[in-house]
Amino acid sequence: MNHLLEIKDLNVIFHIFGADVQAVRGISLQLNKGETLAIVGESGSGKSVTSKAVMGLIPNPPGEIATGEILFEGRDLVKYSKKQMQKVRGKEISMIFQDPMTALNPTMKIGKQIMEGLIKHQSLSKHDAKKRAIELLQLVGIPNPEKRVDEYPHQFSGGMRQRVVIAIALACNPKILIADEPTTALDVTIQAQILDLMRDLQEKTGTAIILITHDLGVVANLAQRVAVMYGGKIVETGTLDEIFYNPKHPYTWGLLSSMPKLHAKTDKLLAIPGTPPDLSNPPKGCPFAPRCPHAMKVCTEHMPAYTELSATQKAACWLLDERAPKVDPPTTIGVGGES
Amino acid sequence: MIRYILKRVGYMIVTFYVVITLTFLAMKMLPGTPFKFANRLSPEQLNQLKHYYGLDQPIPIQYLHYLWNFIHGNLGGSFQYGMQPVTEFLFQRFPISLQLGFESMIFGTVLGIFLGIVSGIYRGRFLDWGTVTLAVVFISIPSFIFAAILQYFFSVQIRIFPVIGWSGPMTHVLPVVSIGVGVMATIARFMRTEMVEVLNQDYIVTAQAKGLSTNAVIFRHAIRNAMIPIVTVIGPLTSAVVTGSLVIENIFAIPGIGSQFVDAIVTNDYPMIMGTTELYAGLFIVTILIVDVLYGVIDPRIRVSGGKSI
Repeated sequence: MNHLLEIKDLNVIFHIFGADVQAVRGISLQLNKGETLAIVGESGSGKSVTSKAVMGLIPNPPGEIATGEILFEGRDLVKYSKKQMQKVRGKEISMIFQDPMTALNPTMKIGKQIMEGLIKHQSLSKHDAKKRAIELLQLVGIPNPEKRVDEYPHQFSGGMRQRVVIAIALACNPKILIADEPTTALDVTIQAQILDLMRDLQEKTGTAIILITHDLGVVANLAQRVAVMYGGKIVETGTLDEIFYNPKHPYTWGLLSSMPKLHAKTDKLLAIPGTPPDLSNPPKGCPFAPRCPHAMKVCTEHMPAYTELSATQKAACWLLDERAPKVDPPTTIGVGGES
Repeated sequence: MIRYILKRVGYMIVTFYVVITLTFLAMKMLPGTPFKFANRLSPEQLNQLKHYYGLDQPIPIQYLHYLWNFIHGNLGGSFQYGMQPVTEFLFQRFPISLQLGFESMIFGTVLGIFLGIVSGIYRGRFLDWGTVTLAVVFISIPSFIFAAILQYFFSVQIRIFPVIGWSGPMTHVLPVVSIGVGVMATIARFMRTEMVEVLNQDYIVTAQAKGLSTNAVIFRHAIRNAMIPIVTVIGPLTSAVVTGSLVIENIFAIPGIGSQFVDAIVTNDYPMIMGTTELYAGLFIVTILIVDVLYGVIDPRIRVSGGKSI
């Protein structure tokens, strides 16, 4: 099968203060043309590092891709030189960031920030690049683009800035768009607008999206497939329906339970007790074992292998072993909280 | 913007008035008289002289008299130089001091910004370490000591540059360097800090994510943003250069205002003290205004008067 992007056994290590933090520990992922893959997990699970690795933006030092391959249309990006990577970034794969308030250069006009990529990758003249920048602003729904193109970021609101960030990312029609928590820093009504915009643009351009988020509402809105990350590993992957209606990993259960629901009987928010593992000294067994209500002895000693649950779903959990006791998912994971 | 500048000019006038008043009072408290052989003169002669220079009147009257003349552009005559008008004197010597200060500022700022950028980019490596060490050394050494060291090596030992004087480019090198290295070191340290901070900003990652080359990221995105806070230190640095040049002009026998300022105080040449102080104060006040306006030119967020800002 030919995937647009295939990550094979990726390991990313950060050498910090004499310790080796293993931020990403042997993950494998595939992304097909035009689809949206969500990577979910809490802070420190390695999701952002994975996306930075794909962009070739892991700061080195202290970071380093220790082993693994990132195959983009069959070519291994890990082996690419700095110069080669510059031709991929922004042209083939581009990225939108979490905080639109800081993601734009405060002293450069919006138009120029969009034009830069166009001039670099498509060798457009200044005049043509500006025309295209105005088109892009129109496309992302910024009113009065002819005038706005000559304004500075501080003259835009947060939501409008995120639209500009999206316009920059889409400038050269990339094949993959990585969205790293694109709505986290925005307020709720703006979040919905940005998500609508992203879905709209995906239909128009056919760009594949890797959506990094911890917000399952956003996932439900946008993604077709979901990968759940914990402690630098992917613990479960599946289609959107499989993850939401038939999750198998206790961590996925925990994530779904902790989602606030509109019609819940209790007014308390459910949380997963405990904290993620220290990745400078990663656990031998399943990283979730210390927080898992169903943990067994084997869980802390051996990392479970993936169990294929369907053609599209697999999970790494000892509960799925035939010798394990049967555990039912908690009743709190009802899916009623999509925004 | 125009309103803003007008308001600032108003404040400048008030500041200037306060400077004149305080200097006048402080000057009158100086011990001694302007007359070199005062102790050999008879009281009658002394009174006659005092009357001639208008020093026999009460200080408030003298003060008002001075202000009245000042408003009409008359700064009085220098006691040391046979009542030669102070204004004429200042106009003659000021360009030399201005040139020295300007050259030193340019030398220090350009080199400092360059070193700061290099140091910020190569943070933690040898180049950075070297620049920081050099900066600390240059900030710590007073300019007059540095001037003496330069004179010894470059004028006495190697004999490339003349020891003193102010005639032609070769004579400018040592004094400009003596004053300029302090400026350079201060700016290099600031620029380094800013550079390191800016390079950690999200918009730098955005620029990299566009596929821009490292050079484009640094020149187009990092340097301009790192320079904004530098503009603020240029004001105080100008005052440091001005005070530094007082001594440096003496060491290198440069016929600027600095050396005359010192002489004027020693000899109680009242109109000259007033004139030079006013000139320095005016220079400083104008510099600060220019810096504030410059700030708006570099940083578009400040350009908008009122209205939206972050």
